[in-house]
Amino acid sequence: MSYFNVKDKIEEIKSTLNSSVDFSSRLYKKDNQILGFIFLKSIIDQTLFSSAVYFPLQMYNSKITIEGLKNDILKCVDIKEIKEKDIIKEILDGKLIIVTNFSKKILSIDLLKFPTRIPSEPPTSPVIQGPREGFVEDLQTNITLLRRRIKTKELVMEVLRVGSQTQTKVCITYIKGIANKKIVKEVKEKIKNIKIDGILDSYNILTYLENRPGSLFKQIGNTEKPDIVTSKMLEGKVAIIVDNSPIVLTVPFIFIEDLQNSNDYYTNHHYSSFVRVIRLLGLLIALISPGFYLALQLYHYNILPLNFLITIADTTQGLPFTPFLEILFIFLLFQILYEVSLRLPSYLGLATSVVGALILGDTGVKAGLISPPGVIIVALSKIALYTIPEQAPQITVLQLIFIILGGSLGLIGLISGLVYIINYLNNFDSFKTPYLAPYSPRIPQDLKDATFMEPVYSMRQRPKAFSPEKKERL
Amino acid sequence: MKKISIRQCGVIIVMCIFANKILLMPSLMYQQTSADSIFVLLTLFLLDFAMLPIFIKLKENYPNKKLYDILRDKLGKVVTKIIYFAMLCFFFFKCLLVFSVTYVYFKQQIYQDEFIFLALIAFLPVINHATISGIRAFSRTIELFFGVVIAGFVVCLAISLFTPISTPYFFVSSAKDFFLSLYNHVFAFGDFIILFLIMDRIEIKKGQTKKLFFFALFAIILVVSLFYLFYAKYQITAFMHNNALADLLVFSVQFNAIGRLDIIAMLTIMFITLFQMEIFSYAFCDCFVNIFPLLNKNYSVVIFDILFCILYYVFIGRYETMVTSALYWLPYLAIAINYILPIILLVILIIRRQKIEKKDKNFI
Repeated sequence: MSYFNVKDKIEEIKSTLNSSVDFSSRLYKKDNQILGFIFLKSIIDQTLFSSAVYFPLQMYNSKITIEGLKNDILKCVDIKEIKEKDIIKEILDGKLIIVTNFSKKILSIDLLKFPTRIPSEPPTSPVIQGPREGFVEDLQTNITLLRRRIKTKELVMEVLRVGSQTQTKVCITYIKGIANKKIVKEVKEKIKNIKIDGILDSYNILTYLENRPGSLFKQIGNTEKPDIVTSKMLEGKVAIIVDNSPIVLTVPFIFIEDLQNSNDYYTNHHYSSFVRVIRLLGLLIALISPGFYLALQLYHYNILPLNFLITIADTTQGLPFTPFLEILFIFLLFQILYEVSLRLPSYLGLATSVVGALILGDTGVKAGLISPPGVIIVALSKIALYTIPEQAPQITVLQLIFIILGGSLGLIGLISGLVYIINYLNNFDSFKTPYLAPYSPRIPQDLKDATFMEPVYSMRQRPKAFSPEKKERL
Repeated sequence: MKKISIRQCGVIIVMCIFANKILLMPSLMYQQTSADSIFVLLTLFLLDFAMLPIFIKLKENYPNKKLYDILRDKLGKVVTKIIYFAMLCFFFFKCLLVFSVTYVYFKQQIYQDEFIFLALIAFLPVINHATISGIRAFSRTIELFFGVVIAGFVVCLAISLFTPISTPYFFVSSAKDFFLSLYNHVFAFGDFIILFLIMDRIEIKKGQTKKLFFFALFAIILVVSLFYLFYAKYQITAFMHNNALADLLVFSVQFNAIGRLDIIAMLTIMFITLFQMEIFSYAFCDCFVNIFPLLNKNYSVVIFDILFCILYYVFIGRYETMVTSALYWLPYLAIAINYILPIILLVILIIRRQKIEKKDKNFI
């Protein structure tokens, strides 16, 4: 009795896949038994196919049965039975499909292989001390990197498919018994509800996870380092790994996370506290220094020390622009140079620096178009911005807002702007976690890992802000 | 309902206690009662402080009930609406006074010109946003800046200690002046009334009530210290200095090399003013929504803004008139809200207690 006409089945699948150029099939005949192998040669390991599938089959002398294939002939490979409707999906996932003329059962063997990067130090988060491994684009490798660090049966990894065309694998991973069940459920629901044709990177699903998708502020954590994801999962967070993306998302996200750096945990905690204070100060300088300088120059020159006032008066004398336009001009100039330096090939980077710093900056001052204090203030704010590089995009926009506020309303504008932003941030939660915790609301227990860091041994409890199921770290 | 913690409630109370007392009031009081103003202040604080046990008892008896519902059940809808209207006016004028006094200070000290448009543009959107966001959001904001504000306040007090100060002469005012001063300045008090208004939004866990006493006492100590140091520093010329907290930092010779230190007071006052206005605006809108239940919070915010702008323009350039008129008729409103309302609530509590006791006796 013949269950499949193997040749016809192969043709049917080929036709379904639009006779794709990488479609490949093989027929294996022995006596009256025919086996058809169907796969996409671009994404399977053809060497493994020869050595682990075809060769053992040739060596097998008895009558071939499905059970024999599964338990005897192909026992060294990851083999499973699938339904007929799943054939296309499996082929597209890099599986080798076996159809036979002696059984209605269809087998699928995982032979997926495509070019991948070796885990290396991610350029976005270099460390002085501590692990240098980073995630890569391959989901399996990323899962391996996490598995290597969390050796517990409670580590849950659930894969969902997102994107009607790309069918991208999205892996939700968390530690059962630590991560809050409600948060896990909310993440799953949000990912299941994503209606999109394709997911190319983890950033594509980011907006679907955010509570306020239109907001300027970052609401989902992201990192390229497995050690950071591990520590976040141990705090009770949920990680989302997207196939083809080296960026792993973590939820809930709170503002303080960007103040923390993996280096902090690999050095002395006193030094880490000092560095965190510097980062916070950097953030404040980046945010308000240009606006504050403008407010002082335009409205509150009487509160400036006399010598400083004279210096400013001397250097701004004869400038063609108003102070507001001058700062705005320098700010935009810096931003343009930054964008150019990001996109130019590295061999042109030096030329940009020379043009930016010497020609535009120095000559601009000498020509009397911009003043040295203005350049210094904007440069300071731009440098300070990168004390917390993860917050750079939103702080850049806020810098502009504060320049406008300082220039138009003075000091009360700056203070009002600051209070408005904090009010706004206090009004939204990331997966039921207050965004500015542990500062507001104040959670004393979580302050151990805030600005002033305490030694790791004293952090015996998981951060309360994330409402972990198991509060004790032991 | 999103509730606030006892700490957040505490910081709200601290801001309310600072309201209308740290800039103009010391000099106004000094005009009437000289150094004895300290006693006027202490008396008014004592009267205010007595409201705290009433609030705690009320909260214990009605843990999740709104003040509006309690009053409506006991006094009827019309009386409750009248009380709420009085409260609405009370909080609105408190807010207006806070803004007016601070505006004059900023105008004199840092803007040196009229900047009313800038002030309204800067303040009103922030206040409106806070009101619409709700008490949880802005109480968290106040909580975040609380340390900065208190540090600023304490630094102002500490720096003033480095200038020559002398113990003021007490008991120089007559009893009549003392009581008149009590009456005149009662409008700046009644800081605990806000607690009654937001009682259903406060989460008090067992044994936490003492925290509330601590916050209140802490703020009172700071204000009393400010009054004392201010009189000790300026003595008979105190009435000429309208910005008490900022003026404490003037003439601090030892610190002149650092620069103008009154910027510490400026920033502190800016934050305090914004937070106080947020609290009072929220209270206004809460009263409004209860009086007109068909209109939502957004309407109340618009009404607040319109009233605020109109009434502010009535006072523009007439600073003296504003203060005088406030001293003339605000005390009536303040007495009704500060003292009569808590007494009504106390009576309600007593009646409830008697009813429970009677029920228990019958049951036995």
